[in-house]
Amino acid sequence: MRLSAFFRPVALGLLLAGSALLPGCVSVAAYQKAYLNDEDMKLATKKVETSEVNFESYREGAGGANGGKVGGGCGCN
Amino acid sequence: MRFLLAAGLVLALPVAALAQGTPNPNRLDGSGVPAATPVAHPAPVSVGETDLDFISSYYQQNGDHGAVEGGIGTQHLTDVAPTIVLNVPLDSVARLTANVGFDYYASASTDRIDQVISSPSASDVRYHIDLGYARTLKDKRTILSIGGGASKEYDYQSFNLAGSWTHGSRDGNRELSIGGQVYLDRVTLILPVELRTAATGSGNQAHGSGFDNRQSYNLNIVYSQVLTKRLQMAVSTELVSQRGLLSTPFHRVYFYDSDRALGTPGTLGTAKTELLPRLRNKFPVGLRLNYYATDLVQIRGFYRFYNDNFGIRAHTFELEAPVKVSPFFTLYPFYRYHTQTASTYFAPWREHSIYDEYYTSDYDLSAFTAQKLGLGFRYAPLYGLGRFKTPFGGRVAKFKSIDLRYGHYWQTTGLTANIVSVDFGFVMP
Repeated sequence: MRLSAFFRPVALGLLLAGSALLPGCVSVAAYQKAYLNDEDMKLATKKVETSEVNFESYREGAGGANGGKVGGGCGCN
Repeated sequence: MRFLLAAGLVLALPVAALAQGTPNPNRLDGSGVPAATPVAHPAPVSVGETDLDFISSYYQQNGDHGAVEGGIGTQHLTDVAPTIVLNVPLDSVARLTANVGFDYYASASTDRIDQVISSPSASDVRYHIDLGYARTLKDKRTILSIGGGASKEYDYQSFNLAGSWTHGSRDGNRELSIGGQVYLDRVTLILPVELRTAATGSGNQAHGSGFDNRQSYNLNIVYSQVLTKRLQMAVSTELVSQRGLLSTPFHRVYFYDSDRALGTPGTLGTAKTELLPRLRNKFPVGLRLNYYATDLVQIRGFYRFYNDNFGIRAHTFELEAPVKVSPFFTLYPFYRYHTQTASTYFAPWREHSIYDEYYTSDYDLSAFTAQKLGLGFRYAPLYGLGRFKTPFGGRVAKFKSIDLRYGHYWQTTGLTANIVSVDFGFVMP
Protein backbone atom coordinates (compact mmCIF):
# COMPACT_ATOMS: atom_id res chain seq x y z
CA MET A 1 0.00 0.00 0.00
CA ARG A 2 2.82 2.34 0.88
CA LEU A 3 4.61 1.39 -2.34
CA SER A 4 1.47 2.17 -4.28
CA ALA A 5 1.29 5.57 -2.60
CA PHE A 6 4.91 6.12 -3.57
CA PHE A 7 4.55 5.14 -7.20
CA ARG A 8 1.37 7.08 -7.91
CA PRO A 9 3.20 10.43 -7.98
CA VAL A 10 6.03 8.80 -9.96
CA ALA A 11 3.59 7.66 -12.64
CA LEU A 12 1.98 11.08 -12.65
CA GLY A 13 5.41 12.69 -12.97
CA LEU A 14 6.26 10.48 -15.96
CA LEU A 15 3.02 11.41 -17.66
CA LEU A 16 3.66 15.12 -17.06
CA ALA A 17 7.22 14.76 -18.32
CA GLY A 18 5.92 13.02 -21.42
CA SER A 19 3.38 15.77 -21.98
CA ALA A 20 6.09 18.38 -21.59
CA LEU A 21 8.34 16.61 -24.11
CA LEU A 22 5.77 16.14 -26.84
CA PRO A 23 5.25 19.79 -27.80
CA GLY A 24 9.04 20.18 -27.81
CA CYS A 25 9.65 17.48 -30.41
CA VAL A 26 11.11 18.62 -33.69
CA SER A 27 10.67 17.35 -37.22
CA VAL A 28 13.74 15.26 -37.96
CA ALA A 29 14.57 14.70 -41.62
CA ALA A 30 15.53 11.27 -42.91
CA TYR A 31 19.17 12.27 -43.41
CA GLN A 32 19.32 13.37 -39.75
CA LYS A 33 18.35 9.96 -38.39
CA ALA A 34 21.76 8.31 -38.17
CA TYR A 35 21.49 8.15 -34.40
CA LEU A 36 17.84 7.11 -34.37
CA ASN A 37 18.50 4.30 -36.86
CA ASP A 38 21.08 2.76 -34.58
CA GLU A 39 20.40 -0.85 -33.60
CA ASP A 40 20.20 0.07 -29.93
CA MET A 41 17.61 2.78 -30.56
CA LYS A 42 14.90 0.37 -31.70
CA LEU A 43 11.67 0.93 -29.83
CA ALA A 44 11.11 -2.73 -29.11
CA THR A 45 12.52 -5.58 -27.12
CA LYS A 46 15.34 -7.42 -28.83
CA LYS A 47 14.79 -10.85 -30.30
CA VAL A 48 17.30 -12.33 -27.86
CA GLU A 49 15.15 -11.02 -24.98
CA THR A 50 12.08 -13.04 -25.96
CA SER A 51 12.59 -15.85 -23.46
CA GLU A 52 13.25 -13.41 -20.63
CA VAL A 53 10.06 -11.48 -21.34
CA ASN A 54 8.15 -14.77 -21.44
CA PHE A 55 9.43 -16.09 -18.13
CA GLU A 56 8.75 -12.74 -16.47
CA SER A 57 5.15 -12.91 -17.69
CA TYR A 58 4.87 -16.37 -16.04
CA ARG A 59 6.59 -15.52 -12.77
CA GLU A 60 4.82 -12.21 -12.29
CA GLY A 61 1.07 -11.80 -12.23
CA ALA A 62 1.54 -8.64 -14.25
CA GLY A 63 2.61 -8.53 -17.89
CA GLY A 64 2.03 -7.03 -21.31
CA ALA A 65 2.68 -3.78 -23.19
CA ASN A 66 6.19 -4.91 -24.04
CA GLY A 67 5.60 -7.46 -26.77
CA GLY A 68 5.67 -10.39 -24.37
CA LYS A 69 3.60 -13.51 -24.23
CA VAL A 70 -0.05 -13.02 -23.30
CA GLY A 71 -1.63 -16.33 -24.24
CA GLY A 72 -1.13 -19.64 -25.90
CA GLY A 73 -0.20 -22.16 -23.30
CA CYS A 74 2.34 -22.46 -20.60
CA GLY A 75 5.67 -24.09 -21.39
CA CYS A 76 7.04 -22.89 -18.07
CA ASN A 77 5.06 -24.06 -15.06
CA MET B 1 26.45 -13.86 -7.95
CA ARG B 2 24.94 -10.36 -7.71
CA PHE B 3 28.27 -9.01 -6.50
CA LEU B 4 30.07 -10.57 -9.47
CA LEU B 5 27.58 -9.05 -11.86
CA ALA B 6 27.86 -5.62 -10.29
CA ALA B 7 31.65 -5.89 -10.36
CA GLY B 8 31.49 -6.91 -14.02
CA LEU B 9 29.41 -3.89 -14.87
CA VAL B 10 31.78 -1.54 -13.05
CA LEU B 11 34.82 -3.08 -14.76
CA ALA B 12 33.16 -2.86 -18.14
CA LEU B 13 32.81 0.91 -18.06
CA PRO B 14 36.53 1.84 -18.28
CA VAL B 15 36.95 -0.58 -21.19
CA ALA B 16 34.13 1.21 -22.91
CA ALA B 17 36.03 4.46 -22.75
CA LEU B 18 38.22 3.12 -25.58
CA ALA B 19 35.26 2.91 -27.88
CA GLN B 20 34.90 4.71 -31.16
CA GLY B 21 31.28 4.04 -31.80
CA THR B 22 29.37 4.39 -35.01
CA PRO B 23 25.79 3.36 -35.56
CA ASN B 24 25.28 -0.27 -36.45
CA PRO B 25 23.10 -1.17 -39.40
CA ASN B 26 19.51 -1.94 -38.52
CA ARG B 27 18.19 -5.46 -38.29
CA LEU B 28 14.77 -6.54 -39.44
CA ASP B 29 12.29 -7.35 -36.75
CA GLY B 30 11.24 -10.87 -37.65
CA SER B 31 8.85 -12.37 -35.15
CA GLY B 32 6.47 -15.00 -36.44
CA VAL B 33 3.35 -12.98 -35.79
CA PRO B 34 3.07 -9.35 -36.90
CA ALA B 35 5.26 -7.17 -34.73
CA ALA B 36 3.41 -5.73 -31.76
CA THR B 37 5.83 -2.86 -31.38
CA PRO B 38 6.65 -1.11 -34.64
CA VAL B 39 9.67 0.94 -35.54
CA ALA B 40 9.02 4.55 -36.50
CA HIS B 41 11.56 4.48 -39.30
CA PRO B 42 12.27 0.94 -40.39
CA ALA B 43 15.43 0.23 -42.31
CA PRO B 44 14.83 -0.54 -45.95
CA VAL B 45 14.28 -4.21 -46.64
CA SER B 46 16.93 -5.76 -48.81
CA VAL B 47 14.75 -7.48 -51.38
CA GLY B 48 15.98 -10.99 -52.01
CA GLU B 49 17.76 -11.38 -48.69
CA THR B 50 16.36 -13.67 -46.05
CA ASP B 51 17.03 -13.05 -42.37
CA LEU B 52 17.39 -16.11 -40.20
CA ASP B 53 17.88 -16.10 -36.44
CA PHE B 54 18.70 -19.10 -34.29
CA ILE B 55 17.69 -18.08 -30.80
CA SER B 56 18.15 -20.24 -27.78
CA SER B 57 17.90 -19.79 -24.05
CA TYR B 58 18.58 -21.73 -20.89
CA TYR B 59 16.53 -20.79 -17.84
CA GLN B 60 16.79 -22.15 -14.32
CA GLN B 61 14.88 -21.13 -11.22
CA ASN B 62 14.80 -22.12 -7.56
CA GLY B 63 12.40 -21.30 -4.77
CA ASP B 64 10.28 -22.90 -2.09
CA HIS B 65 6.77 -21.66 -2.79
CA GLY B 66 5.60 -24.13 -5.43
CA ALA B 67 1.91 -23.81 -6.18
CA VAL B 68 1.50 -27.54 -6.83
CA GLU B 69 2.06 -28.22 -3.12
CA GLY B 70 -0.04 -25.32 -1.96
CA GLY B 71 2.66 -22.64 -1.74
CA ILE B 72 5.30 -24.56 0.23
CA GLY B 73 6.96 -26.88 -2.28
CA THR B 74 9.99 -26.63 -4.49
CA GLN B 75 9.95 -24.33 -7.53
CA HIS B 76 13.03 -25.81 -9.14
CA LEU B 77 12.65 -25.64 -12.89
CA THR B 78 14.85 -25.68 -15.97
CA ASP B 79 13.78 -24.69 -19.44
CA VAL B 80 15.65 -24.90 -22.73
CA ALA B 81 13.97 -23.01 -25.56
CA PRO B 82 15.52 -23.08 -29.05
CA THR B 83 13.67 -21.05 -31.68
CA ILE B 84 14.13 -20.25 -35.35
CA VAL B 85 12.92 -16.88 -36.59
CA LEU B 86 12.71 -16.46 -40.35
CA ASN B 87 12.01 -13.27 -42.28
CA VAL B 88 11.63 -13.72 -46.03
CA PRO B 89 11.02 -10.73 -48.31
CA LEU B 90 8.84 -11.89 -51.19
CA ASP B 91 9.22 -8.67 -53.15
CA SER B 92 9.63 -4.99 -52.38
CA VAL B 93 6.30 -4.79 -50.52
CA ALA B 94 5.59 -8.19 -49.04
CA ARG B 95 7.33 -10.48 -46.59
CA LEU B 96 6.72 -13.73 -44.81
CA THR B 97 7.75 -14.40 -41.25
CA ALA B 98 7.95 -17.62 -39.32
CA ASN B 99 8.73 -18.40 -35.71
CA VAL B 100 9.18 -22.08 -34.92
CA GLY B 101 10.57 -23.74 -31.84
CA PHE B 102 10.03 -25.68 -28.68
CA ASP B 103 10.47 -25.45 -24.92
CA TYR B 104 11.85 -28.45 -23.11
CA TYR B 105 11.30 -27.99 -19.41
CA ALA B 106 11.87 -30.10 -16.32
CA SER B 107 9.89 -29.08 -13.28
CA ALA B 108 10.33 -30.48 -9.78
CA SER B 109 7.08 -28.78 -8.83
CA THR B 110 4.81 -30.45 -11.37
CA ASP B 111 6.46 -33.73 -10.39
CA ARG B 112 4.51 -33.44 -7.12
CA ILE B 113 1.13 -33.65 -8.86
CA ASP B 114 1.10 -37.38 -8.30
CA GLN B 115 3.63 -37.56 -5.45
CA VAL B 116 5.78 -39.95 -7.48
CA ILE B 117 9.19 -38.40 -7.95
CA SER B 118 10.70 -38.63 -11.44
CA SER B 119 7.36 -39.51 -12.98
CA PRO B 120 6.38 -38.36 -16.50
CA SER B 121 4.98 -35.11 -15.08
CA ALA B 122 8.55 -34.07 -14.24
CA SER B 123 9.20 -32.80 -17.77
CA ASP B 124 7.36 -31.75 -20.87
CA VAL B 125 7.94 -30.27 -24.29
CA ARG B 126 5.97 -27.40 -25.74
CA TYR B 127 6.09 -27.04 -29.53
CA HIS B 128 5.05 -23.81 -31.17
CA ILE B 129 4.80 -22.33 -34.65
CA ASP B 130 3.70 -18.87 -35.78
CA LEU B 131 3.46 -17.66 -39.36
CA GLY B 132 2.86 -14.14 -40.60
CA TYR B 133 2.43 -12.21 -43.82
CA ALA B 134 2.95 -8.45 -44.07
CA ARG B 135 2.29 -6.17 -47.01
CA THR B 136 3.12 -2.51 -47.54
CA LEU B 137 0.33 -0.63 -49.30
CA LYS B 138 0.75 1.72 -52.27
CA ASP B 139 1.09 4.80 -50.07
CA LYS B 140 4.28 3.13 -48.73
CA ARG B 141 3.35 4.28 -45.24
CA THR B 142 0.81 1.65 -44.31
CA ILE B 143 1.57 -1.95 -43.48
CA LEU B 144 -1.08 -4.61 -43.09
CA SER B 145 -0.23 -7.94 -41.62
CA ILE B 146 -1.96 -11.15 -40.71
CA GLY B 147 -0.75 -14.24 -38.96
CA GLY B 148 -1.63 -17.35 -37.10
CA GLY B 149 -0.05 -20.03 -35.02
CA ALA B 150 -0.39 -22.96 -32.73
CA SER B 151 1.30 -24.52 -29.75
CA LYS B 152 1.04 -27.93 -28.16
CA GLU B 153 2.15 -29.45 -24.91
CA TYR B 154 1.00 -32.42 -22.88
CA ASP B 155 -2.01 -30.76 -21.25
CA TYR B 156 -2.41 -27.63 -23.33
CA GLN B 157 -3.24 -26.84 -26.97
CA SER B 158 -3.50 -23.36 -28.37
CA PHE B 159 -4.38 -21.73 -31.69
CA ASN B 160 -4.07 -18.07 -32.43
CA LEU B 161 -4.95 -15.57 -35.13
CA ALA B 162 -3.38 -12.14 -35.38
CA GLY B 163 -3.69 -9.02 -37.50
CA SER B 164 -2.26 -5.53 -37.40
CA TRP B 165 -2.40 -2.16 -39.14
CA THR B 166 0.56 0.21 -39.01
CA HIS B 167 0.65 3.71 -40.44
CA GLY B 168 3.62 6.06 -40.45
CA SER B 169 3.61 9.81 -40.89
CA ARG B 170 4.87 11.41 -44.12
CA ASP B 171 8.10 12.56 -42.48
CA GLY B 172 8.58 9.19 -40.74
CA ASN B 173 8.64 10.76 -37.30
CA ARG B 174 5.40 9.27 -35.97
CA GLU B 175 3.80 5.89 -36.28
CA LEU B 176 0.62 4.32 -35.02
CA SER B 177 0.10 0.59 -34.89
CA ILE B 178 -3.05 -1.24 -33.92
CA GLY B 179 -3.06 -4.99 -33.65
CA GLY B 180 -5.23 -7.74 -32.32
CA GLN B 181 -4.77 -11.37 -31.40
CA VAL B 182 -7.17 -14.12 -30.46
CA TYR B 183 -6.00 -17.24 -28.65
CA LEU B 184 -8.23 -20.28 -28.47
CA ASP B 185 -6.88 -22.74 -25.93
CA ARG B 186 -7.90 -26.19 -24.78
CA VAL B 187 -6.76 -27.43 -21.40
CA THR B 188 -6.62 -31.04 -20.24
CA LEU B 189 -7.69 -31.09 -16.60
CA ILE B 190 -5.06 -32.81 -14.49
CA LEU B 191 -5.92 -33.01 -10.81
CA PRO B 192 -3.58 -33.75 -7.90
CA VAL B 193 -3.53 -37.50 -7.35
CA GLU B 194 -5.39 -37.45 -4.03
CA LEU B 195 -8.25 -35.40 -5.50
CA ARG B 196 -9.00 -37.83 -8.30
CA THR B 197 -12.19 -39.79 -7.95
CA ALA B 198 -13.76 -42.72 -9.74
CA ALA B 199 -15.53 -40.20 -11.98
CA THR B 200 -12.34 -38.38 -12.95
CA GLY B 201 -10.22 -41.49 -13.06
CA SER B 202 -7.86 -42.37 -10.25
CA GLY B 203 -4.31 -43.57 -9.87
CA ASN B 204 -1.04 -42.16 -11.10
CA GLN B 205 -1.69 -42.78 -14.78
CA ALA B 206 -5.22 -41.29 -14.84
CA HIS B 207 -4.08 -37.77 -15.60
CA GLY B 208 -6.96 -36.67 -17.80
CA SER B 209 -10.04 -35.53 -15.95
CA GLY B 210 -11.81 -33.88 -18.86
CA PHE B 211 -11.17 -30.67 -20.75
CA ASP B 212 -11.86 -26.98 -20.42
CA ASN B 213 -11.29 -23.95 -22.64
CA ARG B 214 -9.67 -20.57 -22.39
CA GLN B 215 -9.94 -17.64 -24.80
CA SER B 216 -7.68 -14.61 -24.79
CA TYR B 217 -8.44 -11.44 -26.74
CA ASN B 218 -5.63 -8.91 -27.05
CA LEU B 219 -5.66 -5.40 -28.42
CA ASN B 220 -2.27 -3.74 -28.89
CA ILE B 221 -1.95 -0.04 -29.61
CA VAL B 222 1.48 1.49 -30.03
CA TYR B 223 2.23 5.11 -30.83
CA SER B 224 5.85 6.00 -31.49
CA GLN B 225 7.28 9.47 -31.89
CA VAL B 226 10.66 10.92 -32.76
CA LEU B 227 11.31 13.71 -30.25
CA THR B 228 14.74 14.95 -31.31
CA LYS B 229 17.64 13.72 -33.43
CA ARG B 230 18.73 11.62 -30.45
CA LEU B 231 15.53 10.86 -28.59
CA GLN B 232 12.46 8.84 -29.43
CA MET B 233 9.63 7.29 -27.49
CA ALA B 234 6.77 4.83 -27.79
CA VAL B 235 3.62 4.62 -25.72
CA SER B 236 1.91 1.27 -25.81
CA THR B 237 -1.03 -0.49 -24.31
CA GLU B 238 -1.99 -4.12 -24.53
CA LEU B 239 -5.53 -4.69 -23.37
CA VAL B 240 -6.17 -8.34 -22.60
CA SER B 241 -9.42 -10.06 -21.81
CA GLN B 242 -9.27 -13.73 -20.84
CA ARG B 243 -12.25 -15.98 -20.42
CA GLY B 244 -12.65 -19.60 -19.41
CA LEU B 245 -10.45 -21.68 -17.18
CA LEU B 246 -7.89 -19.33 -15.62
CA SER B 247 -6.90 -21.50 -12.68
CA THR B 248 -4.48 -24.41 -12.88
CA PRO B 249 -6.23 -27.66 -11.92
CA PHE B 250 -3.16 -29.28 -10.35
CA HIS B 251 -2.40 -26.37 -8.01
CA ARG B 252 -3.35 -27.31 -4.47
CA VAL B 253 -4.72 -24.92 -1.86
CA TYR B 254 -4.62 -25.81 1.86
CA PHE B 255 -7.05 -24.15 4.25
CA TYR B 256 -6.64 -23.35 7.93
CA ASP B 257 -10.19 -24.47 8.66
CA SER B 258 -10.61 -27.48 6.39
CA ASP B 259 -12.75 -30.35 7.61
CA ARG B 260 -10.94 -32.32 10.33
CA ALA B 261 -12.77 -35.42 9.19
CA LEU B 262 -10.46 -35.39 6.17
CA GLY B 263 -7.36 -35.16 8.36
CA THR B 264 -5.23 -32.53 10.02
CA PRO B 265 -5.45 -29.29 7.99
CA GLY B 266 -2.36 -28.88 5.84
CA THR B 267 -1.74 -32.58 5.30
CA LEU B 268 -2.15 -34.44 2.03
CA GLY B 269 -5.83 -35.02 1.35
CA THR B 270 -7.06 -31.78 2.92
CA ALA B 271 -6.36 -29.57 -0.09
CA LYS B 272 -8.68 -28.43 -2.85
CA THR B 273 -7.70 -27.51 -6.37
CA GLU B 274 -7.06 -23.80 -7.05
CA LEU B 275 -10.13 -21.82 -8.06
CA LEU B 276 -10.06 -18.45 -9.81
CA PRO B 277 -12.74 -16.39 -11.62
CA ARG B 278 -13.36 -17.24 -15.26
CA LEU B 279 -12.85 -13.67 -16.47
CA ARG B 280 -9.69 -11.61 -16.24
CA ASN B 281 -9.10 -8.19 -17.78
CA LYS B 282 -5.59 -6.76 -17.87
CA PHE B 283 -4.70 -3.12 -18.50
CA PRO B 284 -0.97 -2.52 -18.98
CA VAL B 285 0.39 0.77 -20.27
CA GLY B 286 4.04 1.11 -21.23
CA LEU B 287 6.37 3.97 -22.05
CA ARG B 288 9.62 3.32 -23.87
CA LEU B 289 12.20 6.07 -24.16
CA ASN B 290 15.50 5.65 -26.04
CA TYR B 291 18.23 8.28 -25.94
CA TYR B 292 21.39 8.33 -28.02
CA ALA B 293 23.47 10.05 -25.37
CA THR B 294 26.83 9.81 -27.11
CA ASP B 295 28.50 7.67 -29.75
CA LEU B 296 29.73 5.64 -26.81
CA VAL B 297 26.61 5.16 -24.72
CA GLN B 298 22.89 4.98 -25.42
CA ILE B 299 20.14 4.78 -22.84
CA ARG B 300 17.11 2.53 -23.26
CA GLY B 301 14.37 3.05 -20.69
CA PHE B 302 11.02 1.34 -20.17
CA TYR B 303 8.27 1.90 -17.62
CA ARG B 304 5.01 -0.04 -17.33
CA PHE B 305 1.98 0.42 -15.16
CA TYR B 306 -0.25 -2.63 -14.85
CA ASN B 307 -3.70 -3.12 -13.40
CA ASP B 308 -6.18 -5.99 -13.57
CA ASN B 309 -9.47 -7.15 -12.10
CA PHE B 310 -7.70 -9.81 -9.99
CA GLY B 311 -6.53 -6.93 -7.81
CA ILE B 312 -2.91 -6.86 -9.02
CA ARG B 313 -1.35 -3.46 -9.54
CA ALA B 314 2.27 -3.33 -10.69
CA HIS B 315 5.05 -0.99 -11.73
CA THR B 316 8.01 -2.08 -13.81
CA PHE B 317 11.15 -0.09 -14.66
CA GLU B 318 13.87 -1.22 -17.04
CA LEU B 319 17.10 0.47 -17.89
CA GLU B 320 19.70 -0.65 -20.41
CA ALA B 321 22.87 1.20 -21.31
CA PRO B 322 24.50 -0.16 -24.49
CA VAL B 323 28.17 0.75 -24.63
CA LYS B 324 29.85 0.64 -28.04
CA VAL B 325 33.25 -0.79 -27.24
CA SER B 326 34.07 -0.77 -30.96
CA PRO B 327 32.04 -0.01 -34.07
CA PHE B 328 30.93 -3.63 -34.16
CA PHE B 329 31.04 -4.71 -30.54
CA THR B 330 28.45 -3.55 -28.05
CA LEU B 331 28.33 -4.36 -24.36
CA TYR B 332 25.02 -3.72 -22.65
CA PRO B 333 24.41 -3.89 -18.93
CA PHE B 334 20.75 -3.91 -17.94
CA TYR B 335 18.67 -3.63 -14.80
CA ARG B 336 14.98 -4.24 -14.15
CA TYR B 337 12.84 -3.46 -11.13
CA HIS B 338 9.31 -4.80 -10.68
CA THR B 339 6.88 -4.44 -7.81
CA GLN B 340 3.33 -5.74 -7.57
CA THR B 341 0.50 -6.03 -5.09
CA ALA B 342 -1.12 -9.38 -4.36
CA SER B 343 -4.19 -10.65 -6.09
CA THR B 344 -7.38 -10.49 -4.03
CA TYR B 345 -7.57 -14.27 -4.36
CA PHE B 346 -4.08 -15.06 -3.07
CA ALA B 347 -3.17 -16.30 0.39
CA PRO B 348 -0.18 -18.38 1.52
CA TRP B 349 -0.32 -22.01 2.69
CA ARG B 350 -3.16 -22.58 5.19
CA GLU B 351 -4.24 -18.95 5.27
CA HIS B 352 -7.31 -19.36 3.09
CA SER B 353 -10.65 -20.16 4.60
CA ILE B 354 -12.66 -23.04 3.20
CA TYR B 355 -15.48 -20.48 2.84
CA ASP B 356 -13.54 -18.23 0.42
CA GLU B 357 -15.22 -17.94 -2.96
CA TYR B 358 -11.91 -18.06 -4.87
CA TYR B 359 -8.52 -19.20 -3.66
CA THR B 360 -4.96 -19.68 -4.84
CA SER B 361 -1.56 -20.07 -3.19
CA ASP B 362 0.34 -19.42 -6.40
CA TYR B 363 3.12 -16.98 -5.50
CA ASP B 364 3.12 -15.58 -9.05
CA LEU B 365 -0.01 -13.77 -7.84
CA SER B 366 1.44 -12.67 -4.49
CA ALA B 367 2.84 -9.29 -3.46
CA PHE B 368 6.57 -9.03 -4.10
CA THR B 369 9.38 -7.00 -5.51
CA ALA B 370 11.64 -8.45 -8.19
CA GLN B 371 14.93 -7.29 -9.60
CA LYS B 372 17.02 -8.40 -12.53
CA LEU B 373 20.59 -7.53 -13.28
CA GLY B 374 22.51 -8.67 -16.30
CA LEU B 375 25.01 -8.13 -19.03
CA GLY B 376 24.91 -8.80 -22.75
CA PHE B 377 27.08 -8.28 -25.78
CA ARG B 378 26.47 -8.10 -29.48
CA TYR B 379 29.11 -8.61 -32.11
CA ALA B 380 28.11 -7.70 -35.65
CA PRO B 381 31.09 -7.02 -37.96
CA LEU B 382 30.33 -5.16 -41.17
CA TYR B 383 31.11 -8.15 -43.39
CA GLY B 384 29.84 -10.74 -40.94
CA LEU B 385 31.55 -13.39 -38.87
CA GLY B 386 31.77 -15.89 -41.68
CA ARG B 387 30.27 -17.24 -44.89
CA PHE B 388 29.24 -20.73 -45.88
CA LYS B 389 27.28 -22.58 -48.52
CA THR B 390 23.76 -23.58 -47.60
CA PRO B 391 22.95 -27.32 -47.82
CA PHE B 392 20.14 -26.73 -50.33
CA GLY B 393 20.72 -24.71 -53.47
CA GLY B 394 24.36 -24.03 -52.71
CA ARG B 395 23.74 -20.38 -51.94
CA VAL B 396 26.22 -18.46 -49.82
CA ALA B 397 24.88 -17.43 -46.44
CA LYS B 398 26.46 -14.90 -44.12
CA PHE B 399 26.82 -15.42 -40.38
CA LYS B 400 25.92 -11.83 -39.57
CA SER B 401 25.89 -11.34 -35.82
CA ILE B 402 25.91 -12.87 -32.39
CA ASP B 403 23.96 -11.52 -29.44
CA LEU B 404 24.52 -13.13 -26.04
CA ARG B 405 23.10 -12.07 -22.69
CA TYR B 406 22.92 -13.29 -19.13
CA GLY B 407 20.47 -12.17 -16.48
CA HIS B 408 20.14 -12.92 -12.79
CA TYR B 409 16.65 -12.46 -11.33
CA TRP B 410 15.48 -12.53 -7.74
CA GLN B 411 12.21 -11.91 -5.90
CA THR B 412 11.46 -11.02 -2.31
CA THR B 413 9.51 -14.31 -2.16
CA GLY B 414 12.88 -16.07 -2.24
CA LEU B 415 12.66 -17.15 -5.87
CA THR B 416 15.89 -16.78 -7.82
CA ALA B 417 16.50 -17.42 -11.50
CA ASN B 418 19.28 -17.32 -14.06
CA ILE B 419 18.84 -17.08 -17.78
CA VAL B 420 21.30 -17.20 -20.67
CA SER B 421 20.07 -16.34 -24.16
CA VAL B 422 21.84 -16.26 -27.48
CA ASP B 423 20.82 -15.08 -30.94
CA PHE B 424 22.86 -16.16 -33.96
CA GLY B 425 21.87 -13.97 -36.90
CA PHE B 426 22.28 -15.09 -40.55
CA VAL B 427 21.53 -13.52 -43.90
CA MET B 428 20.88 -15.52 -47.05
CA PRO B 429 20.64 -14.10 -50.56
